[in-house]
Amino acid sequence: MKEIEIEGNHFLLHPSGAVFWQETKTWLLADVHLGKVAHFRKNGVAVPRKAEGSFYQKMEILLTTILPKRILFLGDLFHSFQNNEWYLFKAWIKKQQAEMILVEGNHDVIPAWKFKSLGLTVAAQWQEGPFYFSHFPTEKKNQFAFCGHVHPGVKLKGSGLQQLKLPCFFQTPQKMILPAFGSFTGLHLLKPTQKDNVYVCTQKEVVAMIKKF
Amino acid sequence: MNSLKQWFDVQGWRPQSFQKECWKAYEAGNSGMLHAPTGSGKTYALWGGIVNAAKKKQPLKKGLFALWITPLRALAVEIQQTTQKMNAALLPGTEVALRTGDTPQNQRAKQKRTPPFGLITTPESLHVLLSTKDHQDFFKHLQVVVVDEWHELLGTKRGVQVELALAYLRSFLPQLRVWGISATLGNPDLARRILLGDTQNYSVIKAAINKKISVYSLLPKTMERFPWRGHLGLHLLPLVLTLIQKHQSTLVFTNTRAQCELWFHALLEADPNLAGNIAMHHGSIDKKIRLWVEEALRKNNLKVVVCTSSLDLGVDFSPVENCVQVGSPKGVGRFIQRAGRSGHQPRAKSTIHFLPTHAMELIESVALQKGIAQQQIEDRIPYLNSYDVLLQFMMTLAVGSGFRPEELFPIVQSTFCFQTLEKEKWQWLLNFLVRGSQSLEHYDEYKKVSVLEDGTLRVLNKSIAMRHRMSMGTIVSDAQLRVRFQKGGHLGTIEEWFVSKLKPGEVFTFSGRHLELIRIHNMDVIVRKSKAKKARIPAWKGGRMSFSARLSELLKNTLFEVEKNKSPEFMALKPIFEQQQKESVLPQANQLLIERFETREGFHTIFYPFEGYAIHEALASLIAYRISLWQPISFTMAFNDYGFELLSDQAFDPQAILDNNLFTPDHLLDDLKKSINISEMARRRFRDIAVISGLVFQGFPNKPIKAKHLQSGSQLFFEVFKDYEPDNLLYQQAIEETLDHGMERGRLIQVLEQLQNKTLLWRNCSQPTPFSFPIITDRIRSKLSSESVEERIKKMYLQLEKQPNEGN
Repeated sequence: MKEIEIEGNHFLLHPSGAVFWQETKTWLLADVHLGKVAHFRKNGVAVPRKAEGSFYQKMEILLTTILPKRILFLGDLFHSFQNNEWYLFKAWIKKQQAEMILVEGNHDVIPAWKFKSLGLTVAAQWQEGPFYFSHFPTEKKNQFAFCGHVHPGVKLKGSGLQQLKLPCFFQTPQKMILPAFGSFTGLHLLKPTQKDNVYVCTQKEVVAMIKKF
Repeated sequence: MNSLKQWFDVQGWRPQSFQKECWKAYEAGNSGMLHAPTGSGKTYALWGGIVNAAKKKQPLKKGLFALWITPLRALAVEIQQTTQKMNAALLPGTEVALRTGDTPQNQRAKQKRTPPFGLITTPESLHVLLSTKDHQDFFKHLQVVVVDEWHELLGTKRGVQVELALAYLRSFLPQLRVWGISATLGNPDLARRILLGDTQNYSVIKAAINKKISVYSLLPKTMERFPWRGHLGLHLLPLVLTLIQKHQSTLVFTNTRAQCELWFHALLEADPNLAGNIAMHHGSIDKKIRLWVEEALRKNNLKVVVCTSSLDLGVDFSPVENCVQVGSPKGVGRFIQRAGRSGHQPRAKSTIHFLPTHAMELIESVALQKGIAQQQIEDRIPYLNSYDVLLQFMMTLAVGSGFRPEELFPIVQSTFCFQTLEKEKWQWLLNFLVRGSQSLEHYDEYKKVSVLEDGTLRVLNKSIAMRHRMSMGTIVSDAQLRVRFQKGGHLGTIEEWFVSKLKPGEVFTFSGRHLELIRIHNMDVIVRKSKAKKARIPAWKGGRMSFSARLSELLKNTLFEVEKNKSPEFMALKPIFEQQQKESVLPQANQLLIERFETREGFHTIFYPFEGYAIHEALASLIAYRISLWQPISFTMAFNDYGFELLSDQAFDPQAILDNNLFTPDHLLDDLKKSINISEMARRRFRDIAVISGLVFQGFPNKPIKAKHLQSGSQLFFEVFKDYEPDNLLYQQAIEETLDHGMERGRLIQVLEQLQNKTLLWRNCSQPTPFSFPIITDRIRSKLSSESVEERIKKMYLQLEKQPNEGN
């Protein structure tokens, strides 16, 4: 994990794409897209079922790494309308100790009361201390924002005309965009400027990248 | 048959001997194969026999008598007119109808109510007919199917579509006859067997029309300014202009649509007088515009048309006197086909000018001329076990009348493509449709095809059936968007990934115009005309073509006789050969040249087997993989038809290549499958497979329908199959296709055996050599690495966007 400091607070960037906010013991997760595989299958598109299961495995790794007080989802927790994935999620959530907050995203079409009935707090955005949490990337004057939606990735270059595309944490002066936590999700390539910091995720590490013109 | 001859007399024609042979063979009740070029009167040869047979069967049963399958819609129109004319004269009261993707709904309905005597259609539209509930009734009086331009279909997945449809029709029409029409190809026996099946009653008829073809290379006055690399060839534009002026009408063939747009602009800019007399024709341009261009060509209203393979086929353009081929045609067959677009009148000579885009292509020109002289036409390699096409076909039946697996299995097995299909794999395919290739789990909601009580497989869900109907057909490409003006007026379609790189206000060239992007709305790209001088040219993705085996062989033979050859091309190349000799060496037939030099980009190691792009791509990954076993190293690779390059940030020891048996065919498949590059190549192939098999739903540009939350790229599917379901047959198919069609597995083994007997000639050079130039400047590269991702990242960096306005 890579530790960074923003506005005097400390954050750990995990290779899975999650961020741990140490001061409040909160895991931040963006774009899980639960039920996406089930949604495709329900409509006759045969995505392997196993691709969905990885959320619960990844969560277990996160929770054994650090047990949080809270988990904050930055939108697109579910991919589409309710399907059987909901019941798996329900079973999982019952076993959790941590408080759960969902900042709604554009894919979250399941009504809020259903999430509330599972004990989640649902909000359009979330503000806490010097930070602002939303699904869509936003820039606030006096607050630093954490957001998702984009599924950011970057293209790396090296000598010998090497190239590599990897998911990343994309930090601008005003905001941090998290990579998608879900496994059956795509990548949107971003081009950094001088002011941006980029932390790429390999399977094992989070690496701060050097920038060149 | 007398009335047929009379009809010919009335037209003032004399039947040619191959036409009479066809009529006789048809009268004898045979199926068959006719080898005849376009424009030779082949339609009359077959339709004559059919009409003749129908005359004897009077009174005719009401119903479809003959089905004519053609690969191109444009051809369908022409054939419909020809055949209708014959019917009107010889079988009054009968009709030949047209059924393609363009046929309006009311016409289709009419055809269904009162089936015509003949129907001209495409493979895709035939499958659409099979997806209707009562198709067996529609086809019940069908006597014969004619497959036109079979050489074009064979070796493509549309060919597999035809195989499946024929096998299926034969299953309930045991007397059905099949006739194929094909241009000359390298493997005519196989082509016949695939189409006609096991029948013994067949005739093979050859039209003895030997067209004279003249080939000229366009040579610059001096070679000094002749580029060592490049693919546009614009430096020779003045010569092309002279040719255009000299001839009544000229076709300029380019290899890509981007090249086509560029040439069109360049010609118009160089000679503004051409305005109104010049047009462009490629697959992305709106159909109406294309039809207009074809019509204008026929009427001799155009001086020059810049085109791609879209004009390779079909329609007869008599006024065309001359063709220009820009860059390598990659095969003798294609070159002959294109040359044949000129001089269409009987006994006229075809003329084609070869325009080399870089120096090395001049060698090719000589090789091509040899190929034509020796009639070295390529084989067409048929597809085997195309599960994607089969799954699509099964769905097609399932959305219509449904099918019973035990009945369909032997039908599928009777095709050439699926002759080795095992019961297990068949079961897997059924399971894929019914259960999404999983075993039944209680919370799985997979829904596609249902098993009815009597064992029939049918689609019950309406939206699934509709999505299938909309996405049938095997010709696929990236998601297409329609280009249109704000006030209406369509220009054609463009691939989404290109548009996604444009910002509103940016100017690009399309359909020969400079257009400014206003916005993208749904599936429409809305544009206005622009007066900007500079514009981006859309690059259309599409596989690169490789030299055919024949052309590679011809090229090697040509090159290795450098000393003796006194052709104008070789005289022109002299300075380049001298430079190559000075910097490195000109290899002999028994040598394999390997060059090494260093530039700012790293260490270049270049191999020259001269075996064609496809083989080089395979060899590059193989050799890179084998070297990477000795030391952690990362390569990027580039290849062309002459050789391949391994580029690395560290120099590997030449002894590693010289001492070890790097070119051994042992463990070939194993090593190839382990090299990361094959997975990359398979990923590209998987794009088509995903669309054909119905995993990726694209919708249609002109009928955008909502598929909420169901959009996903084939890339993502490829990843999840690789990670979670590697035994998925569609994933496996991508790898098999890469080996068979991408890498030409069979030939690769032969090439490796030959290479083992060659002397390796290692040359350390101080700078890039003329032979290496077109390869090392290629930016399309594959990668292979034995270093860990973490290891590699540490040596990498992020390229920053330059922001000119910053600081203001």
